[in-house]
Amino acid sequence: MLKFLRRLAADYKEYILLIILSVISLTLLSKSEKPQAKHLKTFALGNFALLSEITNSLTSIFKRDISLDELKQENAQLMLEVNRMRKLRSENDELREMIAFRDTSRYPLIPAKVISKLVTKTQGNFIINRGSSDEIKKGMPVLNEKGLIGLIMDVAENYSVVRTLNNSNLNIAVTLQRTNVDGILSYDGKNLVIKDIPTTYDVQVGDRVETSDFSSLFPPAIPIGVVVKKESNVLGLLHIITITPFADIPAENDLFVLKVLPSKQINDLEMNLLKQN
Amino acid sequence: MFDNIIKPVLIFIPLALIQLTVIPMISVAGIAPNLIFVLIVFYTLKNGQAYGTILGFFLGFLLDLFSGGLIGAFMFSFTISAFIAGYFYNENKIELNTETFFFLLIIFICGSLNAFIYAAVSNSNSDINLFFLILEEGLLPGLYTSLFGLPMVIFTPKKGIL
Repeated sequence: MLKFLRRLAADYKEYILLIILSVISLTLLSKSEKPQAKHLKTFALGNFALLSEITNSLTSIFKRDISLDELKQENAQLMLEVNRMRKLRSENDELREMIAFRDTSRYPLIPAKVISKLVTKTQGNFIINRGSSDEIKKGMPVLNEKGLIGLIMDVAENYSVVRTLNNSNLNIAVTLQRTNVDGILSYDGKNLVIKDIPTTYDVQVGDRVETSDFSSLFPPAIPIGVVVKKESNVLGLLHIITITPFADIPAENDLFVLKVLPSKQINDLEMNLLKQN
Repeated sequence: MFDNIIKPVLIFIPLALIQLTVIPMISVAGIAPNLIFVLIVFYTLKNGQAYGTILGFFLGFLLDLFSGGLIGAFMFSFTISAFIAGYFYNENKIELNTETFFFLLIIFICGSLNAFIYAAVSNSNSDINLFFLILEEGLLPGLYTSLFGLPMVIFTPKKGIL
């Protein structure tokens, strides 16, 4: 019997090896979000990201730079926009004071640089040069001057992993700015889409999409993108809406981390609601 | 010992750096080549199926850690596709397999499979159709990866550092 098993192992050693290694890989894959795996990833990330940062600084000379003229034009436009906003702000402050409404729209921004990117169709991840030493925490939103980029997923001392919108594992509660239609934004490997919106709802190409008040991950009203296409499903009852993000996510290199975390009180309330059900 | 174990790991480090910092700059519509996989196929064709499977598993694990992605995704896809690449191993045809355009064909076949498996295990979106997975997640990255095997064919290992 022992001889037979030994012969079997010798004859099929490659297959046995493949099965063992595949099982280990799949087990690790299923435990990828567990704290032990996160610790291991954070440790490796902290060490390797330093090398990535050095390489990135060397390669950054080849990266696209925005010309001075473009920046000047943008500055002029922003100056006009700021002026208009100032007027609206003073009006808004007065109105808020009248109804004693708390201002929750201002959060500090932490500038960050992308030092490495994982480019695959379904797993969009960035590593940025800010970590726990810069008070970055898991769950903080990441954006740039155009709109939302993603969410902090892992934090090492000096580096963090950002899960971008181009990641099929990130689903976000969003709302259409014009009509307040809510939906869940996800990435289908090609586009950002909002599925299962009833066709009776008013959705038009060109509508702006932003984070929803219902989002437990992001603060409300962070711009995300614009509706470029709406398709009906087979029965014609539901829409699939395609969104083009404002930010050119794969090309972004300079980002900001919004120093805000989901409210613990809201999360606790949501948990209580779930418990009651 | 040095040639089979330490050398691939030493080569892996600069390749992983290039993969995560330079390759995103040359990716086309989210389709990027995988340099680490070229290394794995090369060593599999030199040393055999069992060796390649273990190397794929180990380098996949390292790439998963360094890239900040899902732990186990590259590990699984590299393990399976290195095993498949091992079927092309022939002790008497090592030079033919690694120094001719046949090498590019092997990278294309196994690279497509690798990209397809990676997409299948790392994607949580159940609505993606099979055609999309095979073409955009499999064949195109495989084709792009095979282009990066070209230097191995042009500058044969005898002349290069490998």
